[in-house]
Formats: sequence, C-alpha cells, structure tokens
Amino acid sequence: MSNESRNLDQLQRWMQTVISWPGGVEAGIDSEAAQSEIPLERSELETVVTASSRQTSLERMGIYANAYYARLLECLSEEYPALVSAMGKTAFGAFSMEYLQEFHPTSYTLCDLGAHFPQFLTEHKPPAEENEFNWTDFLIEIATLERVYSEVFDGPGIEQETLLTAEVLNSIQPEEWPEVTLKMAPCFRLMQFQFPVHEFISQARKGNSPQVPEQQLTCLAITRRNYIVRREVVSQAEYLLLSKLQQGLNVGDAITCLAESDLMEPEELGAKLHEWFKHWTTAAFFIDVSKQ
Amino acid sequence: MLKPRLGHENLGLGVGLRTVHFPHILEHQPEVDWFEIISENFMDSAGRPRHVLEQIADRYPVVMHGVSLSIGSTDPLNREYLKKLKTLAESINARWISDHVCWTGVAGRNTHDLLPIPYNENTLTHLVKRIRIVQDILERPLVLENPSSYLEFQDSTMSESEFVCRMAEEADCGLLLDVNNVYVSSVNHEFDPVKYIEMIPAERVVQCHLAGHTNCGTHLIDTHNGQVIDPVWNLFQLMHQRTGGVATLLEWDADIPPFPVVHAEVLKARKYMDENLPVRNQANLEETVTNPSSAAIPHPASFIVAEVE
Ligand SMILES: [Fe+2]
Repeated sequence: MSNESRNLDQLQRWMQTVISWPGGVEAGIDSEAAQSEIPLERSELETVVTASSRQTSLERMGIYANAYYARLLECLSEEYPALVSAMGKTAFGAFSMEYLQEFHPTSYTLCDLGAHFPQFLTEHKPPAEENEFNWTDFLIEIATLERVYSEVFDGPGIEQETLLTAEVLNSIQPEEWPEVTLKMAPCFRLMQFQFPVHEFISQARKGNSPQVPEQQLTCLAITRRNYIVRREVVSQAEYLLLSKLQQGLNVGDAITCLAESDLMEPEELGAKLHEWFKHWTTAAFFIDVSKQ
Repeated sequence: MLKPRLGHENLGLGVGLRTVHFPHILEHQPEVDWFEIISENFMDSAGRPRHVLEQIADRYPVVMHGVSLSIGSTDPLNREYLKKLKTLAESINARWISDHVCWTGVAGRNTHDLLPIPYNENTLTHLVKRIRIVQDILERPLVLENPSSYLEFQDSTMSESEFVCRMAEEADCGLLLDVNNVYVSSVNHEFDPVKYIEMIPAERVVQCHLAGHTNCGTHLIDTHNGQVIDPVWNLFQLMHQRTGGVATLLEWDADIPPFPVVHAEVLKARKYMDENLPVRNQANLEETVTNPSSAAIPHPASFIVAEVE
C-alpha cells in the first residue's frame, strides 16, 4: 500500500483496535476488527509503524497498548477506592478490563469513565444463591454509593442558593402544612442499602482495611454542603417520609403514607415530625416550600 | 507581519493547576504569574473544582488546556464539547485555548490518550480544515501543542516539525511548544531537537511547556513527573532566544510534590532567559536512566476524586 493512499480513518480504527485489544498488540493485529481495516501479518507491522534503532514496531505499539488499560484502570481505581479495597486489586483489575470492553470510554471527560460500573457489576452478578451473606450485592452497593459520591461532588449544588430560613417555615400556618410541597436540593439523594456500606467506604478511603460488615438495612440521606459530600444515616421511617416528599407528595399525603406503613406508632410519629423537619431544614435537604 | 505570540501577552512563568494544590493556593495566594487548567476537568463541574477555579481566575490569569478535542480524528468534531469549551473560556476570561496535534479516539470512542497522526499532505489538509472550523466556533485562534510520541507511521512523508509549521501557517493558528515533548520525541524518533526548535515559526509560539519525563532505556515517556532535565532547559533557552519570550508553564502530573517545589522548578527558567547567553553545549549532559523496567504511563488527563465528609 502506498504511503498516502491508506486513509486516515482506516489507520485510526486499526490503531485504536490494536492498542485496546485485551489480548495484546499481536492478537489485536490478528483480530478481525483490525484486519478489516488493515489486513496485515504480524511480521508486516513495519509496513504501518516504523521501527527505531532501539525498538521494534511491535514494541512501539506496545507502549500505547500498555498505557491504554493502565491509565483507565488507574482512573477507575481513583473513583472506586473502597471497591478496590473490598474486591482486591487483582479482581478489580480483571473486572475493569471486562468493563472497559463492554463500556468503551466515549466521553470527553474522565468523570464519565466509571458511570456504568455499578450497572456492569449488577449485570454480571452470578446467579442468586440462597445464602444469607451476598458478597456480590455488597460490592454492587459499594460501587453504587461511590458513584453517587462522585455525582453529588461535582454536580449542581446549593452553595450559591438562599436556603430556607426558620422565618419562612414559621410563616406557614399549621392548617396550611398538609398542602405544602417541598423542593429538594439538587444534590440531595436518598439511598437504601443492605449493608452499612457508607462506613466501609469511609474507612477504606482513609486508607484502612475495613472488615466486611454484617448485613444491616441502611438508609442514607446524602447531600453536599460547602462543596463536601455529606451523608447521614436516617431511620426507615424518615427514609419513607423523605422519599414521598422527594416524589412530590405534599406533606399531608406523605405523612399519611408513613402512618399507614406501621413503621412507627402514631403518637411517636407526632413527636418526631417537628424534630425531623427542623433537622432536615438545617441540613438543607430541601431548599424551598410551596403552598398549593 | 505577525505580532510576536500572535499578539498574546507573555504571561510569565506559570504552573499547571492540580487539585492537590487547591488548599495551598487558596490559603497562601502564592506569587505565581498564571495558571493553566485542564479544560475537561472544569467544563461540566458544578462543584468544588469549578468553585476553586473561579476564585483562582479572579486572582490570576488562566489559560485553558484541553486533552479531548481530537483535532486529528476522522470522527466529526464534537460541537457540544466546543460550545462548552467556549462558555468556560468566556466565564473565566481564559487568555487562550489550547489542545494537541493528535487524535484521541475514533468511532465514537475516547482512548484518553494523545495518539499520533501520520504527517503527510492528506492529514495536513484534514487538520487545517478542522482547525479552521474550531477557530470559527471558538471565535479565537486555537493554540496547538506538539505531543510526545512513541511511534511513527510509514504513511508519514514529512517531519513533525515541518508538519507543525505548515499546519500553523495554513490554519493560521498558534503553537504551544512543549520543549520536553520535542526532546522526548527526538530521542524516540532519533531526530535533532535543536533543528526542530529552529524550524518553528517563532512568532506563532504563544506558549511553552516544560516537564519531566521517564527514561525507559530504549525510549522516553512523557510522564510529567520529576524535574526538567538540562537538555530540555537548553531547548527552552533556544526557544526563548528565538521567540523573545513566551508564557511558560511547568506540567507536573505524577508524584506531585508540594506546590512550592513545583513553583520553584518553573522559576529555574529565569536562568535560561538571558538572550545573550550562548546555547549551552548538550554533549556532556546525559540524563540518567531512572526507570528502565517500569511501566511508566503518560497521563494526559487526571480524574478528580470526590471529597466526602
Ligand atoms: Fe505539554
């Protein structure tokens, strides 16, 4: 093939295939995908890539091939440090290799690189076993929460917003409250897990090697204050009420859902409501109220 | 007649902005001339990275350096990306926008690497056309950097320096001359780095990059770690003599030391900025092979880790 007749598109598709081929450069050259762009025997690589006096063309391609997975794996490890700690580096590396082949990076930003990792783990979960401790579920939950942390950290927040004040809330008459709907902060997330993964993640991110925790239903409210992601454990009752409010139900209907749930005794609920709303306002879980 | 630096200001000696240095910079407001940011790390940010950037842009001149434009790719240009680039540039008053003479992916993919293109008439036409489109969208000249590369193509019919010169002239764009990249590629591809620098149209050089690299014995890798070695400083000196001085920036991306160390490294450039000095002899300045067997990985972009309470 003469120098300029091979078009750039073929060359780029060929090179991308070869350097990202999981089995290495030589297998990449042999692959159907690469052969369909540039049909080539391994021994003919020099007709595409030149050798230097110190390196063969294969070695030179190898530099890009090594860097491809190493770089992307490093980014994934930085986004999912607790998952690395739970799975171990080797297993995490193997899963990442699979992940990167199934979800090729397509975005201009590395922030999107790990976006589908929780989904990938879920889809590759081994068939359910009837044992009490489900290791894969634990891993998926870690991945899910670590990804939420990334999204909340760099997504829209409330740092520039005027927050709800006690005055605004006090201006609402008691009889108006059932009709009130709340606008949640854009950085607010409610999550439910089978394991206290938040503690595992915090320990792992501090560089400790945490023990795998006991299974324990864990409800978390996550938000961002002052550009730092905050998470707190909430009760199942709070979780239910907050999730109904997040869905857009008014306060009255949300409380009715909770009352019907058997999660709390009615008298206990009455006492807690005031305390909860006060705390949620201070924590800026919601940033506005509207009366219908 | 072109103005020096295409009319851009010589911003002095700057440092590449990295997240590990955020607290130091905000607290100490160091006397740095300017900062360069990795555009992609801030384009979509609505969190702390963006908040910190705004404070820094209030206090220091900022330049945007991208790694995903993929000007050499045969994929269509990403207009959404270009729009975001322009919006960010306007909001932080970026002095200019740069990226690399490379491609990063094809068929919708992004390898997150700066991949080399063959240097020939066809690819030159391809790049020139795309640079002009990008410049129309951004409404400003694009500044393109010579990348480090680890292979060359049989399809090349001209040297990189010839390609870069013709590209800059024909597309009427600016150049970011990375003297470390020139050095790295000159070792890898066995050309004379001095001739390369001598060939570059001096008045089109808007900015200069300095960095450390890793010597793997048979080749060099542009790892952006460690100090700038003497042969690279010599190339810098030559570049300085030819251009009369341009905004100069140190990139440090792996094993990043505390901010004052990085800053001190770029300030060493002052020693090489006396135009009357003769270019120093390179022959006795051999660099050491630091990492012959290591898997040194170039890192064009970095991932920003979330801060959680
Ligand atoms: Fe550079």
